[in-house]
Amino acid sequence: MKILIVDDSKAMRMIVMRALKSTSTYGDAEMLQAVDGKEALGMIEADPPDLVLSDWNMPEMSGIELLQTLGERGIIPPTFGFVTSEHTPEMYDRAMAAGAQFLVSKPFTPESLEGALAGAA
Amino acid sequence: MSDVVQASNLAQINDEIWGAVLGMVLEPAGPEDAQPEGEELVTGQVQITGDWSGAVFIELSTSLARKATAAMFFTEPDDVSEEDLIDAVGELANMTGGNVKAQLEGPHALSLPSVTAGQRYRVSMPGTRVAGRVSQCCAGQLLTTTVIESGASPKAQDADAQVLASAADSP
Repeated sequence: MKILIVDDSKAMRMIVMRALKSTSTYGDAEMLQAVDGKEALGMIEADPPDLVLSDWNMPEMSGIELLQTLGERGIIPPTFGFVTSEHTPEMYDRAMAAGAQFLVSKPFTPESLEGALAGAA
Repeated sequence: MSDVVQASNLAQINDEIWGAVLGMVLEPAGPEDAQPEGEELVTGQVQITGDWSGAVFIELSTSLARKATAAMFFTEPDDVSEEDLIDAVGELANMTGGNVKAQLEGPHALSLPSVTAGQRYRVSMPGTRVAGRVSQCCAGQLLTTTVIESGASPKAQDADAQVLASAADSP
């Protein structure tokens, strides 16, 4: 399995990767990183991952802009979820309408992240 | 907004972030507690705009910021680079601000975080007042979280601007 983690914070990318590696389901997955939606878009177009975990608020291209662009181009990966500190009902509705499967709130635990992923599968 | 910026609510947000992300425990600190004179500090902030507009600041010593960064990057405090420290404090401010924003009614936007580091600097935002503040301790070092609100009355601005400046300044 190939997982793309998109976040402008290197620290948060590390935390998400560490959380995934601690799970039985995703511990052996190949993990790729992108620093914003723009870089992620290029990576997804070149070699689509199985799962994308994206921050919402990023420079250059936000997470929701990334997902909307992927939808316009018909290349949304099988599973796309947001990991964000600003989880609101409005954001949830926008994310679901654009094709996301879940939102995980920061801070999260490895268990809550794995639970959200299990619910999306 | 008043419930969101209550000290107890801000403290709970920080407790969850520092516990879940860093595995670090925060203890209550008194309002009279202050950073030691001349302490090297780091301030992370995010701005919130919408029906309610303001900003959320976190302020901590560079020493505590190194420990927090080391916990994030799974390394030792002495091995933390300045770039990683700025990134980590920005993300902590982003999480605190994002959780404050998530409790506001109506649509709001959160800015990207900005970080200031050094000694004897002052952070001020004209036309604002302090809406809430909490001080907590981690390993004997202070973490101060301040929420400021835009559009305050001139009288309130004057009164609270001094509070913010004196808290953020190390003369």
